[in-house]
Amino acid sequence: MASKQQTAQLTVQALQRACGLALVYAVLILVLPVSQATIQTYYLSPLEYRAILFIVSLPSIVAWIAAFIGYAKLREYVSLVRKTPEGTHLDKLATGCAWLAWSLPATTILSLLLNAIANQHPAFYSTSIISVNYLGLLLPLVAFSIIGVASRGLVNLAKLRLSRASIRVIMLFFLAAGILYCYLIFQRFDMTSLSSTQNPYFLPIWLMVLSVIVPYLYVWFIGLLAAYEITLFSQQTDGVLYRQALRLLVLGLVVIIISSIVLQYINGIQPRVGRLMFGYHLVLVSIFRLIGGSGFIALAIGANRLKKIEEI
Amino acid sequence: MAASSKSSIYDQVVKVTHVYLGPAADRFIARQVENHLHKSPDELSQADLLSLIDWIKVVVSLLTEDNDLIEEYTNELQKLAGKRTKLKRS
Repeated sequence: MASKQQTAQLTVQALQRACGLALVYAVLILVLPVSQATIQTYYLSPLEYRAILFIVSLPSIVAWIAAFIGYAKLREYVSLVRKTPEGTHLDKLATGCAWLAWSLPATTILSLLLNAIANQHPAFYSTSIISVNYLGLLLPLVAFSIIGVASRGLVNLAKLRLSRASIRVIMLFFLAAGILYCYLIFQRFDMTSLSSTQNPYFLPIWLMVLSVIVPYLYVWFIGLLAAYEITLFSQQTDGVLYRQALRLLVLGLVVIIISSIVLQYINGIQPRVGRLMFGYHLVLVSIFRLIGGSGFIALAIGANRLKKIEEI
Repeated sequence: MAASSKSSIYDQVVKVTHVYLGPAADRFIARQVENHLHKSPDELSQADLLSLIDWIKVVVSLLTEDNDLIEEYTNELQKLAGKRTKLKRS
């Protein structure tokens, strides 16, 4: 079993990493070349552009600091219960949350770097958009797959059965959202040519379906199912005080999963343009990033309460 | 006989605690016995029960501010202490 000092060190290290990444991001905003298109569109000076870019990035920075604290707190708790029957699954849950937490700065920083290169070398623009789109898919795909395995393990451990009615509701919601997503995506394609890359995603439609739409639908289904399974587990667990703490942790996790799905959805139907643009998309993304951040805070508080039960 | 009686006290305390701390109950009680009574869990005896309840009351009040819940939990443990005393006398 890990000592108190060792477990507390996990949060300190995670906080140091998050702040370090935020610093790297701030420095990149200051040193990377500005987007001439944005400057001309909004009549900004380079300094104003950099200041505004930093301000609109603040929700993302706040969210990823909260995310690092959240996954570190969960890791601290897991380090105390790793050898228990539920410990293995909680360990996987913490790993999935860590992937989600790291996906926030990784996508944001890489996007900033690639966009800056594309601003200087327009031939690189499509590569930049494609790379950021795939990274935005790949990291949640790994995270949600791990979280899905963990939630299934917890449900199996507690010998719980999923209710048919709940599964039907999830399926209905998933199908409605999935079909709407496909409809909105296909509207941006020239349907007369399957191999054309003249679209905001710079991919032919067949490749878009196979390598983006299908994996996203898989990620969302796994995410929704995991959210349901861990909620079910938290409702059926014994112990009034234990359940109160676990419910807070699970509430945080559900908020994280839902906000992550919504962000992936928004970024899918409103394709990335590789530069700063003001509009409802920016507002929605900022709001859901903050909601995701609040989910990580709830996760951290829940994990801290559970940890206290194991330490006191 | 004595050994089974001792383990039974521990098991009953864990059983009551399970209602409040769920899967963490066994670990929680084992820790209280080791840290505050300086005994291993299987050495827990009838004589230790009231002292253990006092410690549990203090510790659980650090986990929750719900005094009614703490009262309910310690009352359940007190009942256990009373029941076991009666059993011993009879």
